[in-house]
Amino acid sequence: MSSAASPSLQATGGGSARPPFASLRSRVGASPWTYRLLVLAVVGTIWEIYAVNLRSLLIPTFSDTLVGVVTLVQDLATWDAFWKSNQSLLFGFSASLVVGILAGLAAARFRSIEGFLDPYLNILLVTPMAAIIPLLIMSLGIGLESRIVIVFVFALPVLIVNTRAGVRQVDAILVEMSTSFGASERQIWRKVLLPGALPAVMTGVRLGLGRAVTGMVVVELLFVAVGIGNLITTFRGSFDPDLLYGVVILVVFEALILISIVRAVERRIAPWAHGTVLRE
Amino acid sequence: MINIDRLSKTFPARGDDAHVEALKDVSLEVREGEFLTVLGPSGCGKTTLLRIIAGLETFEGGDVRVRGTSISGPGPDRAMVFQSFALLPWASVVANVAFGLELRGVPKAEREARAHDLIELVGLTGFEKRLPGQLSGGMQQRVGLARALAVDPEILLMDEPFGALDEQTRRLLQEELLAIWEQSRKTVIFITHSMEEAVLLGDRVVLMSPRPGRIVDIVDVPLARPRASAVDEMAGSAEFAQITADLWRRLREMQLFRRPARESAPSIGIGV
Repeated sequence: MSSAASPSLQATGGGSARPPFASLRSRVGASPWTYRLLVLAVVGTIWEIYAVNLRSLLIPTFSDTLVGVVTLVQDLATWDAFWKSNQSLLFGFSASLVVGILAGLAAARFRSIEGFLDPYLNILLVTPMAAIIPLLIMSLGIGLESRIVIVFVFALPVLIVNTRAGVRQVDAILVEMSTSFGASERQIWRKVLLPGALPAVMTGVRLGLGRAVTGMVVVELLFVAVGIGNLITTFRGSFDPDLLYGVVILVVFEALILISIVRAVERRIAPWAHGTVLRE
Repeated sequence: MINIDRLSKTFPARGDDAHVEALKDVSLEVREGEFLTVLGPSGCGKTTLLRIIAGLETFEGGDVRVRGTSISGPGPDRAMVFQSFALLPWASVVANVAFGLELRGVPKAEREARAHDLIELVGLTGFEKRLPGQLSGGMQQRVGLARALAVDPEILLMDEPFGALDEQTRRLLQEELLAIWEQSRKTVIFITHSMEEAVLLGDRVVLMSPRPGRIVDIVDVPLARPRASAVDEMAGSAEFAQITADLWRRLREMQLFRRPARESAPSIGIGV
């Protein structure tokens, strides 16, 4: 739009009816997507310039990688590989959701459980998970079971820790208030501790999901060449860096979709937790 | 109505701190329909006393009876209003007010109808759907009061309920509490650290002293009832000023770390 056009636009759009372009511009300016896409464009451009100048066999250009993503999406073998990998994510992460949340709840409320769980939880948290994968493969074999267990072990600690922290940070005065109105232990759980812990539990679910996806890919890359890991290994061997990076982008994409689903669920079931300290 | 007989409570030693005698040989009789205020410096055990009556705290010696029956925990005959409001942050005003009824298994439609009545009583009509975080402190405590009244207790236990509010909001809530109480005539035990509040609201003021927590006196308040419509005149009257001044003099004597009087203060040489 030329600068000469804008005064006339503003003159017509006085009063409550704002000029259509100005409102569109302010809406675009306010949307976080504008800046997200801007960052992507900048990073993509830098990548493109860097790769073109380098002319390396191992570093694809940004545009080649995008083409690679499209090629992969059109190939049924890609979908097959993702399905194969995601089986371990599905079972492993579901199991860690159940076990992690229950263990976290129990540890938060009962001193005896906390006492015996705490050291093992610390061990789980500090152990580099990749280091124990060979151990699990040796004992469980290279089937789906060992991949499930690995995803489970990757996601478990953050689920326990966040759930426990969530219950702990529920204001004790609320429990006291409920008790004064005659609440039973069951009612305290259902009506105070669980709703109070929900935002932190959902944070744990999001973090755990990220770790579960990492576990899923790491085991396939390092030890059991199936699914996504197998794709990556194959493309590395055949010097197809555009496809290799394409797979990585697809994995990131999958993780982002899953995490935004969790976020949407969180907003729905725990809307009160979003009064934040964020500044405009 | 409530008989407290030689009540004693000790908090065990913790780390370097010696054990604390929160209450020692506290005896008190609360009359039916009475507005009793409990006044004392911090650490005098007034909140502990209230928590014991509420059934939230155990005690070692003595006995607490409500209508002749020794208490063994919280009961439907008592409801508490908390200093920090203690509202569920995820529940609407209606749900918070109905919470006590919900715990007692009252069906949803019934408890919400009751909650609406009380929301009207405390002047929160129009705010039913709000969450506590969207309300001012004064409004939050109105919710706390409505929640306690919703279960229709015989005894209302109030633990410095207006202590976290600003002066103006506090005065308005005091007036409203008086108006509600003058209509319902529930038995109220009201903890406070403000002399003015204790005198303005109470029929009698129980004066407590720390280390060990004990009752030192019970002062009758001769101000006429009903008071709700005459709070401002009362607060400005000579009689009111005299009672509060007297209470303050006695409270000041209890302060452990009070300044020595000016004439006996040691002279400190300031470098010249």
